[in-house]
Amino acid sequence: MKNALMAGALALLLPVIAAAGEYSLTVDRVMIDTGDFVKEGIGYNGASPGPVLRFKEGESVTINVTNNLDEPTSIHWHGLILPFEQDGVPGISFEGIQPGETFTYEFPIVQSGTYWFHSHSGFQEPNGAYGAIVIEPEGREPFRYDRDYVVQLTDKHPHDANRVMRNLKMMPDYYNRQQQTVGDFFADISKHGFMTALQDRLAWGDMRMMKADVEDVQGFTGLINGKGPEQNWTGVFEPGERIRLRFINSSAMAYFDIRIPGLEMTVVQADGNNVQPVTVDEFRIGVAETYDVIVRPKTAEAYTIFAESMGRSGYARATLAPEEGMQGPVPELREAPLLTMADMGGMHGMADGDMATRDGAEDMDHGNMSQGSMEQASMNGSSGMAADAGTTMARMDHSGMDHGAMIMAEGGASDPFYAEGSGLVPVAANGGKFLSYSDLRAQKPLYEEREPTREIELRLTGNMERYTWSIDGVKYEDAEPLKLQYGERVRFKFVNETMMTHPMHLHGMWSILDVGAGEWNPVKHTVSVQPGTTVYMETEVDAPGQWAFHCHLSYHAASGMFRKVVVEGGPDQGNTAGVEVANDGGDA
Amino acid sequence: MNASKLFVAAAAMSMTATTFAAGSHGGGHGSSIGEPGNAGDVSRTIQVEMHDNYYEPEAIEVTRGETVRFMIENKGRLVHEFNIGTPDMHEAHRDEMKMMVEHGVIQGGKLNEDMMNMDMGNGHTMKHDDPNSVLLEPGQKKEIIWTFSSKTNMEFACNIPGHYQSGMYGDVNFDSAADTQARAD
Repeated sequence: MKNALMAGALALLLPVIAAAGEYSLTVDRVMIDTGDFVKEGIGYNGASPGPVLRFKEGESVTINVTNNLDEPTSIHWHGLILPFEQDGVPGISFEGIQPGETFTYEFPIVQSGTYWFHSHSGFQEPNGAYGAIVIEPEGREPFRYDRDYVVQLTDKHPHDANRVMRNLKMMPDYYNRQQQTVGDFFADISKHGFMTALQDRLAWGDMRMMKADVEDVQGFTGLINGKGPEQNWTGVFEPGERIRLRFINSSAMAYFDIRIPGLEMTVVQADGNNVQPVTVDEFRIGVAETYDVIVRPKTAEAYTIFAESMGRSGYARATLAPEEGMQGPVPELREAPLLTMADMGGMHGMADGDMATRDGAEDMDHGNMSQGSMEQASMNGSSGMAADAGTTMARMDHSGMDHGAMIMAEGGASDPFYAEGSGLVPVAANGGKFLSYSDLRAQKPLYEEREPTREIELRLTGNMERYTWSIDGVKYEDAEPLKLQYGERVRFKFVNETMMTHPMHLHGMWSILDVGAGEWNPVKHTVSVQPGTTVYMETEVDAPGQWAFHCHLSYHAASGMFRKVVVEGGPDQGNTAGVEVANDGGDA
Repeated sequence: MNASKLFVAAAAMSMTATTFAAGSHGGGHGSSIGEPGNAGDVSRTIQVEMHDNYYEPEAIEVTRGETVRFMIENKGRLVHEFNIGTPDMHEAHRDEMKMMVEHGVIQGGKLNEDMMNMDMGNGHTMKHDDPNSVLLEPGQKKEIIWTFSSKTNMEFACNIPGHYQSGMYGDVNFDSAADTQARAD
């Protein structure tokens, strides 16, 4: 009788046990060997990257995180929808995890797909504190594959991230190896004529930036799943199989252009959400984004996964092969792109910057601007810059302009998510299809389509000379939190007035990227905003509490391109007044 | 979009349709996919549901010489195709489907019937009316009667861009026991 009772009790408990995964992570000092150098860093369970956490949609997870460091730490579950106290941002979600402490995260898994996790404390993430999350869906997926691999990229730098930040503050071009030389200048003269080359150069000088500022931290080794190009991470396959590759960009700063020569890739997921499949030859992955692709190698040969950084200052490389040890040809790095005048954010009076209607070509007709005008609209004084630039443009005499005198991007590639004439527009190495944001469509709309209740404009601003990055010209320490009301649908308007690409990441709520597809707009957690462009995204404010919202480039976030978002109201608490978390600055 | 582009597209489509017809009626090549069947010869009906983006079922069993009625229903929110052919035929057809998407004939969950039926001159249209396939909007149902005259490497597939590549296909398996029997006869 007693036994029967026990068995009954156990049977009752079983489903609960089955639906709750328990995981343990230790945060450790580790050595990271890239093949080019060995560097002390931070990892999980003794390694960097940490383990792949495999969750199942519908389960509740308990994750015990033990801090073996001599400094506080934290783990942020990037892209996961969860109660804000579990989001892992010190100073916003919780107090952080003190040295020696074990913190227990507990939250339900309400989604599926490919995500990642990383420390949100100091520069622990660029120093190696990251790992992957794979969530198996409850139902079947809208695609098929025979095996899957996580392909997690990072830009491992030989310098400790704190040192990188100090050097950037001291000398913003410290890590810029692509600077234009006197030789380049003479090459420009012979190509474009003396006055044009000179004016182009003077204009860039006034911007406090250089044409080669695509990447402000160079000198890294690209890693895939912790392996450098020579260490060659390899995923094995049988010819004819479909392989799902879960690309995650866990870099501090580097965007990667990814291709697998000889294979087309069918993109089926972006940022963990299924998209209508689109077959491409190459795609660009922003910092913190994920893309899942399906490839089908039909022959028993080695294929190279080649990931060049956007500024071509480094690359990551891995291999798909029928067996370990095989190698495919490794392509050469392509020539580094140069920014053009079109990439000068805010320079063109972008107040009309609506993606759908903006005529970038017209903007560029302002071509041969006088140097005096450039000065008035220089990158200094980040606040109110759009207005300044607009006024400057209005005062200009357009009549005497020499169209086409400005050194422009050649080749004419275009993408609606890049400024017209931008030097950054990606082109597939084989001349084929390069994925654009405008190709992304939700496989299944997540929310019902409705009009946004209001629009919030956020200008992405910065001063390269002092290496300060900000939103609306105000850095995090000096900014009021951004207040949203529970239940509203906010339309965010990002206006990039800088010359760098910013991957904007809102925690806790989805970012519905406006690609002009209405209810089929793709749902993301990180949205890249290219220089000189305006990008819109909408957010259903459905998660009470307080959240981080920031540029995911480590050194930009740390320099102030960061906001706290407070969602007021909501089903359980009514307000967030009871939240006892010090506002001492969420760490990037 | 302009009319001349559309015309090129239509011409390209009818061209491959002709190639296909030659293939299917050539006979004796050993790679014939079979031919449209007569309702009177139908031995059984197979229900095929099209979802976003997969079939149910994902494999069917047929016997050489058998005539099957396929009842095909699109239960998804996107346009899908059910097309019987060899992997090579599907690959060739994917270029045509890509063109149909690029020209706005297929728009996510909608088919632009007017554009499909538009006379592009010389009697060319972008109609999708090959007897071995149907192209359905969400909620639509259609049938195909097909006779599997000889055993060959076949798949049923949706060739809308990205769908086949992400796994929207199924295997046509020939019943080998029945085949052995047929040879013995």
